[in-house]
Amino acid sequence: MADPLLSRFAAGDEDAVRTVYRAYGRLVFAVAYKVLGDRGLAEEATQQAFLQAWQAAASFEPSKELGPWLATIARRAAIDVHRREARHAHSPLEDADPAAPGLVSLPPSMDRIYDAWQVRQALSELSPDEANLVRLQHMEGLTQSQIAERLNIPVGTVKSRSFRAHRRLAGLLGHLRGDDPADSAPRQPRIGTGGQR
Amino acid sequence: MTDEERISYLAGDHAGAPGSLDPADAAELDELRALLADPAMWEVPGQHLEDTVVAAVTGAASRETGDERSDPVASARGAAGGELARRARRRSRRSVVAWAAGAVAAAAIAIAIGVTSGTGTHATTFSAALSGTSLAPGATGQATLTQTTAGWRVTLHVSGLPRLDNGRFYQAWLKNAAGILVPIGTFNQSGDVTLWSGVPPTQYPTITVTRQQANGNPASSGQRVLIGHAHSTS
Repeated sequence: MADPLLSRFAAGDEDAVRTVYRAYGRLVFAVAYKVLGDRGLAEEATQQAFLQAWQAAASFEPSKELGPWLATIARRAAIDVHRREARHAHSPLEDADPAAPGLVSLPPSMDRIYDAWQVRQALSELSPDEANLVRLQHMEGLTQSQIAERLNIPVGTVKSRSFRAHRRLAGLLGHLRGDDPADSAPRQPRIGTGGQR
Repeated sequence: MTDEERISYLAGDHAGAPGSLDPADAAELDELRALLADPAMWEVPGQHLEDTVVAAVTGAASRETGDERSDPVASARGAAGGELARRARRRSRRSVVAWAAGAVAAAAIAIAIGVTSGTGTHATTFSAALSGTSLAPGATGQATLTQTTAGWRVTLHVSGLPRLDNGRFYQAWLKNAAGILVPIGTFNQSGDVTLWSGVPPTQYPTITVTRQQANGNPASSGQRVLIGHAHSTS
């Protein structure tokens, strides 16, 4: 563990913990929220994840990226919270209605978690206006006309801003490839593998 | 297909993505669009969480002894306080190694909360966590979609939605990547409701709930209060 920041984090240095949280806290929370779908539980899992990271920091291999390591810890912490909540929320199996169909809950796979991590990170690199437009379009499902009405701007402006925002997003996530057949550069991974900030 | 066509497709401008769209490209971009519609991509933690995390870690470190270092939850109890610590108290004490091993095991196996009877096989199920939109920021929901011979049964638990009466109600929908909405049922208030869908979540993965008025217009009002994305759990 040669990284001075990580050494200080492992020692519980307040500034180092705050620095790591500010770099990765929202991403860790996004992973937890993806697993749990509940804001309060996701915050609890985020706290547990950072505690777990602190606990294991001494064994972190500096040749690896911190982000994926934290994502793995965050997913495990969220699964632990999920299991605990499931124990409290549901009746014992023997009490289940024998006529009931199967109900099985699986946490998102690590691939899906890492995809979500990458998308969340890319969104954080958009400007607030760009991110808001993408959110309105995808999360809230508004049409371009509805966005124009909501933001009180012309539809043409929404279209141009939307195109610009999605071009930036696609570039950040490696969803673009050269159309020149002579371009022999390999296609980037599905949702990128760029390093963490 | 050009980059511009891909971006147009990603931005939902299907007119800008003619038939030259490669199926693999379309699937890849659809997956990204689904992620962008996932509330997990947009929720942000409360501002208090930074201080809570810092207090928990630094508190645990300052109390560090051999035993305490192996039990960060116990350390958090002393450092964080409040709701997070109250929740933490409900957890059984166990070593970090056991905790991590349990989590790994959980990642590898299904967390069964029920089983099918008779056949011993699991039904095809999807689940979705729903989050409140700006129209209902305090609302949440959890949906389980189970395939039956009659269709998909959608059991939905909703909280945080006030009761609607006098011709006003909530309506749930499934939506596909092209934005086509299929109604799956209506209800009046938070609680447990059972809905039915004749289209599969594999093709219509987005679940939304809107506020509606019985005014002869069956179309969505667009007043979306909950949204989530279904993923396979079987």
